[in-house]
Amino acid sequence: MTDAAALASILAEPFMQRALVGGLLTGSLGGLLGSFAVLRQLSFFSDALGHSALLGITVGILLGINPTLVLIPFAVVFALLVHQLVQRSALPTDALLNIVYSSSLAAAVLALSLVETYRGGIQQLLFGDILGISWVDLGVIGGLLLVALLYLSLSLRAQVLLTLNTDLAGAMGVRSGWHRLAFIVLLAVVVAVSIKAVGVLLISAFVVIPACAGRLLSRRFPVYVVSSALLGGGCALVGLLGSGLTNLPSGPCVVMVQFLGFVVALVISQSTRRSPAVAGPGGRQILGGGPAAPEPH
Amino acid sequence: MRQPVLQVQDLSVERSGRLAVEGVTFALSPESDTALVGPNGAGKSTLVAALLGLVPRRSGAVEILGQPLGIDGQLPRAVRAQIAYVPQTLALQGRFPLTVAEFVGFGFDPPGLRLPWKDQRNRHVAVQQALQRTGCEELGQRLLSELSGGQLKRVLLAFCVVRPRQLLVLDEAQAGLDAPSNEQFQQLLFNLRRQEGWTVLQISHDLDMVRRSCDQVLCLNRRLRCSGSPDHALSPQSLNELYGPHMITYRHQHHD
Repeated sequence: MTDAAALASILAEPFMQRALVGGLLTGSLGGLLGSFAVLRQLSFFSDALGHSALLGITVGILLGINPTLVLIPFAVVFALLVHQLVQRSALPTDALLNIVYSSSLAAAVLALSLVETYRGGIQQLLFGDILGISWVDLGVIGGLLLVALLYLSLSLRAQVLLTLNTDLAGAMGVRSGWHRLAFIVLLAVVVAVSIKAVGVLLISAFVVIPACAGRLLSRRFPVYVVSSALLGGGCALVGLLGSGLTNLPSGPCVVMVQFLGFVVALVISQSTRRSPAVAGPGGRQILGGGPAAPEPH
Repeated sequence: MRQPVLQVQDLSVERSGRLAVEGVTFALSPESDTALVGPNGAGKSTLVAALLGLVPRRSGAVEILGQPLGIDGQLPRAVRAQIAYVPQTLALQGRFPLTVAEFVGFGFDPPGLRLPWKDQRNRHVAVQQALQRTGCEELGQRLLSELSGGQLKRVLLAFCVVRPRQLLVLDEAQAGLDAPSNEQFQQLLFNLRRQEGWTVLQISHDLDMVRRSCDQVLCLNRRLRCSGSPDHALSPQSLNELYGPHMITYRHQHHD
């Protein structure tokens, strides 16, 4: 069978069509939230949330409740508790998050060892099963994408000022505590909803890699946010198609495509900064318009 | 007599479980320039944070433009929109994808949720004027994270001047500036204050600048130790009481 015929045959499968839509939505959602999370230095937070999700799934299995139903409230409560811990503890955030995520991962694995048979299997939890995504899942992810878009558009000023300086944001009338909490809850829900498709181990890649690539390529803030979301969605599509054609696991394929996208963005950003003929004294913008940028003094 | 822009009555603030500011009372008259001085750990930043409603106060009352500041920092939006703040620095780790013009535009938008493309034309005009008035015309399309310290401080003033305001609070705005940049910044601040009619409250360690520029000085070391004109509040005796006996003061003689 030729590649084109193989591709057509894959695309004709309903499960693959759902997986592609799911990948596009999940990737875009990860890129969108990631663009803010990376600037707010919450990358590690999303990683901790992903690992703790395994504990949420295990709790669901042990209680005999559908793990997907347990996961969202578990992730939100977990995120709020960790947020409080970070706020109140005198320890560095990265050390605290490391303690939290390794402990929750260990607790989840121990608890899972008590479950004799889990239908989904640990492999599926760790690396996701985007091919098993349902229309209901797609509806939930699509709805979440709309909510995230609306909230982040309406609160763009608040999000940027909070990132730059909390006191400046507060003085300008931004309800810092409320927005910080709202963003963390949104991130927790996005991580929880995406776990089924992406898996516990790879979820942070969906949040961090497209945003970092977008950051390297953009100069204007809206362009950065949109390009991160597009890169997230686009890499997911390409990765899934590659996975379908090569019969390799879908989640890792998507992450490898994201990584290649990041490397390309890195090369482009480095080359445009180094080339004075193209870039002017200090580099030029790649996406988003505007004149060349001189070196900082 | 005109109503004070800021009135503080017997204000006490706790931070990290200890009383950082105790029983402070003062008022800022319209268009005045007041410096808040004192040693490190004296409670200056805590006092400013409490005045802006960023930290709750333990007791006392604060009124801004005649409106009481709520115990958790609540202020009517119209009053909040009259306040500008210049922090010491911004968190700009690595490459931050935000241009100067975009940042100044956020200063134009009033508090509250709104779609970013609302009022875009007026915002654009206001941003261009603010950049021009602060000598930042050339910086509009530069990334905020690419600016030098002096440029960033001018951009922060553009952020303040992009819409009319009455009260400007600066938290050690000169920190990290070399002498020429500091001089330029002070001159720009002085000019804008005159043009805009700002009432200024600035935390400063630069006592020479305070002597030259400010109308009133508040000396804080948990309590308000002294206040008044620079000549009175910064006398060697007052400074010894505020900073301790090791404080040596030099007075520059200016000849016209």
